[in-house]
Amino acid sequence: MNWRRLRTFWLTVLVLCLIPATRYYQIDEPLLRYLKGTREVDPLSLHLLGEFVENNLGTEQNADGSVTVRMIAQQYLFVPHCILVPAGVPVHLRITSADAVHALAFSGTEYNVKVLPGTISATRLEFSQPGEYKTVCREFCGAGHYAMRSELKVVPREQFPVLRAGGRGNCAVQ
Amino acid sequence: MLSNSGLFGGWNFLRTVAVVVAASSLLLVASDSAPERVPSYVSWSQETLAAASAGDAFRGMLLAKRCEHCHGAEGFSATGSTPNLAGMDKLAVWKQLEDFRSHKRMSRVMEPIAESLSPRDVSDVVAYCSKLPVFTDPQDNRSFPGSQPNPVRAGIASHLVSFGDGERGIPPCQACHGPVAYRPGVPSLMTQNSEYVLDQLTAFANRTRTNDINMPMRTISSLLTEDERQALAEYYGSGLGLQPGSSR
Repeated sequence: MNWRRLRTFWLTVLVLCLIPATRYYQIDEPLLRYLKGTREVDPLSLHLLGEFVENNLGTEQNADGSVTVRMIAQQYLFVPHCILVPAGVPVHLRITSADAVHALAFSGTEYNVKVLPGTISATRLEFSQPGEYKTVCREFCGAGHYAMRSELKVVPREQFPVLRAGGRGNCAVQ
Repeated sequence: MLSNSGLFGGWNFLRTVAVVVAASSLLLVASDSAPERVPSYVSWSQETLAAASAGDAFRGMLLAKRCEHCHGAEGFSATGSTPNLAGMDKLAVWKQLEDFRSHKRMSRVMEPIAESLSPRDVSDVVAYCSKLPVFTDPQDNRSFPGSQPNPVRAGIASHLVSFGDGERGIPPCQACHGPVAYRPGVPSLMTQNSEYVLDQLTAFANRTRTNDINMPMRTISSLLTEDERQALAEYYGSGLGLQPGSSR
């Protein structure tokens, strides 16, 4: 085997090794939009107006059976701290940051959502089995980064509370 | 030139856009049945930061004669349930006064006082408070350095202050309240009265105080147990949080 073939072989191996890593480190759409200079929300006034006001956070039941989850990532908390979603239905996650760059990851799954200030990261998730997932921040965001964790509870579909229009599901209301 | 060809060309497209915009705005109006709950009208924009930090401390000193009766002549109060103001961050006190003024934080005493202050008065008073020296003199009529808590409770508190609790998702207090790092509008707790700290933690947990932006303190206080809240209040109130060189 001459050196050219050897080089091709090892380069191929290297590229193949990198492919699974891209599933976790996504250079994804919100980041590209952020780099382009698109600002969709004002990170400093999330609490004043728009879709991330306090009573709009949490799980919202949509008419087609899917749910929408709205969250804020901030130093060093995800708000709301515990989310309740039904199993087996599409979960539309909409999350934005109030300060630094964060990444929302559900441990035990391959979902990893990059969260940037001024940009809404919208992702479609689906959890087939009921269970509890720890939600962790996977992007270093400051002194309290390692304690930035929260919880996601996936409950069977029939146990998910039938919410009235505008109601929000959270862990306290089961 | 607008031509009438294709899906995205011409007046048809414009009309479609207009219809979609009108329909979506109607939908928005219809879905916004629940009133928006705003925790505080303060947002830390550049203008707010400039307004809050442009106070005249000398004028503030004259205005602050009114505060002395409860908050102490040197910014250290005699009663534990009244907060100490000496050396407090300008932005932190400014935000609380603004919230009292807009009735986002409830207090029968502070709401009328804050209402009587003009925006300029508020930034002046705040500038004066931030310049008051932070030192603890036990000879004084101050409630601040309270008695030392028992070592077990101090240990619990010290662990929460420096490390938080990763399992429950409680960030360390010192990551926002100092001395490690501060965020805008977050008060330093190193010279705060134990009773006041406990009152506020309990109020956040019971949702009787709801003026924290994006609800960090409501979340954390509910995650803490009653014992932990008590331990944290004793830790800060006895001056254990105060380290040499750590005051602002």
